[in-house]
Amino acid sequence: MMFNKALWFQNYKQSKFLIWILLALFVVQMPLQAILSVESWQERAERTTYSEEYVYEVQAWDVMQIFSQGMFTIFLAAAIVIFASLLIGLERNTRRSDFTFSLPYSRSSLFLAKWALGTAAISIFFIMNFLPAYLIIYQSEFREALSLVSSIEIFWAPLLGYIFFFSFSLLVGSITGEMVSQIVLTFIFGFLPIIIFTLIQEFMQVHDFFLFHIGSHPQWIEYATPFFYAAGSIGSLPGIISAVLFTAVCLWSGTVLYTKNNLEYNGEFLMFKKMNPVLVVILTVLISFFGGMIVSSLAPWGAAALRILSYWIGFTTFMLFALLIIRRLIKMNIIFSGRAV
Amino acid sequence: MDRTVVQGNEGYAAMRVQHISKHIHHKPILVDIDFSVEPGSIIGIVGRNGSGKTTLLRSLAGILTPTRGSVYIDGLDIFKHPEIKKQIIFVPDSTEALKNYSTKELIYLYKNIYPEFDTSYLFSLMKRFKLSQISKIGNYSKGQKALFTLITAFATGASYILLDEPTDGLDVIVKKQVLQLLVEEVSDRRLAVLISSHRLDELEFMVNEVIFIKKGKVDSHYELDTMKNQYKKIQLAFAGKMPETLENELEVLDKTGKVYTVLIPRGSRPLEEKISDSRPLFYEELPMSLEDYFVAKLGGPDDV
Repeated sequence: MMFNKALWFQNYKQSKFLIWILLALFVVQMPLQAILSVESWQERAERTTYSEEYVYEVQAWDVMQIFSQGMFTIFLAAAIVIFASLLIGLERNTRRSDFTFSLPYSRSSLFLAKWALGTAAISIFFIMNFLPAYLIIYQSEFREALSLVSSIEIFWAPLLGYIFFFSFSLLVGSITGEMVSQIVLTFIFGFLPIIIFTLIQEFMQVHDFFLFHIGSHPQWIEYATPFFYAAGSIGSLPGIISAVLFTAVCLWSGTVLYTKNNLEYNGEFLMFKKMNPVLVVILTVLISFFGGMIVSSLAPWGAAALRILSYWIGFTTFMLFALLIIRRLIKMNIIFSGRAV
Repeated sequence: MDRTVVQGNEGYAAMRVQHISKHIHHKPILVDIDFSVEPGSIIGIVGRNGSGKTTLLRSLAGILTPTRGSVYIDGLDIFKHPEIKKQIIFVPDSTEALKNYSTKELIYLYKNIYPEFDTSYLFSLMKRFKLSQISKIGNYSKGQKALFTLITAFATGASYILLDEPTDGLDVIVKKQVLQLLVEEVSDRRLAVLISSHRLDELEFMVNEVIFIKKGKVDSHYELDTMKNQYKKIQLAFAGKMPETLENELEVLDKTGKVYTVLIPRGSRPLEEKISDSRPLFYEELPMSLEDYFVAKLGGPDDV
């Protein structure tokens, strides 16, 4: 049922706009960027031929910018989130989900068909752009640069990272009731481990106590943060293994949750009402700590007591606003042209 | 397999709605709805705004999962065997879901969903109703959209057509076409149609059965003829006011000056004698309509 023609067509029809944007982004990221990078490497190499002190060498970082890192991975991650939200969230905002759920297919088939379309689009577009980009560099005078990177770094990690991030976005879609909440929560949960780590670090710094060493974040935080998979930061074997495992977990749990969806809550922030208090607590705590961090940063570094005071002023102010706004969010209902019930 | 219901008459599949209840936000929207639908019947689902008609139809289409109870087609639970929903098609009151499809795309989609989809039949009906192929269904006029969705629903070959307010907002001519098509299809192909509507005057001329929904419950379920035979609509006029004792026993539909239009149970001799004893100036039996019954059963002022 994952490859049901009708469901593929229906899902394609409601997300084709984003599918073609995804292709355009991959074209710009890989083949086009490869051509432009080779040109600029040539230019830099030519310049250094007139100077005896410098020799221009392409670095691994330069190659990874084309395949797995850089600005375009951020754009692609954003496009993937919107793609997933067109497949699930927008369907819930409109009357389309009534049509979809009235079809003679199981709910798991509906979810898996969405996953299959997205995964196929990402994989096909990635591979069909990876190959020419690789060949462009391979046929240039900078062929050696390719030996500076591994296939895990430039092929498996970004491909599996995008697929995991897409599966993660669909999982969030299986618990959210509409498009905006799906996008917002995908970004929040996509960064959650690194957000929590940063907020704790900041809290410790302001209050001058340290539960652990403060510096750059440990590797496991990266492995636990979904967004890093799409941004190409997981270029290692454990990284791709965890990408595969997390994809399987997202796919399984997304299917189960989608099957249990009560469609009468379409248009509301969350599909599962029991999750509302949990979400209110998580978001309020995060926003409050964030408020503390922002306001304390305005205080002078030397004035420790003032920093602590401003931290708690910021914490309390943001907490009050968070409670007001989130409670409204939880109660909202966005259905376009809806005349349900 | 949980085949709990036997097949309907003449071997056709029967739809069984078994004790459905639905709670939304902890409020009961549907309460223990229980009925069967036989092929060849048109059933009107009637109720006031917010009574749960659309929720009921959405539950029958498998869109909403009932809190309790289930829906069976030919003995198979549609929630456990969603493939059986090939026999059901839900036509909502809006074409929002399909508005971006071209007619060609929609045909492709439906052919892949419903194996019995009959393209030539669809084209013949499109020709009959002068509907041309179009690049975006949303560009059809409101009436054309309603006709087109109905035609495609019939072309799917589904045995149970669930229509939510199908004539809402249509002009008289299109409405007539829609209703005519509906009646023709049911008689030709032994379909079953469940139709929710506020337009009781329209329902009256096509439904065999009426299910009255009140506050999420089946208030009554009758065959139309039986229902009309249960009550008698009469017009009465008195010299002064109608005696209070009498007024309490009658269902007053309308009062204009001294003229009362009332509903009384047919064959209630004591009540008829009481009316006669109160010496009305005028007494006349009027033809009974579905609307009269609707107002009498569901239209109390505290039921808005």
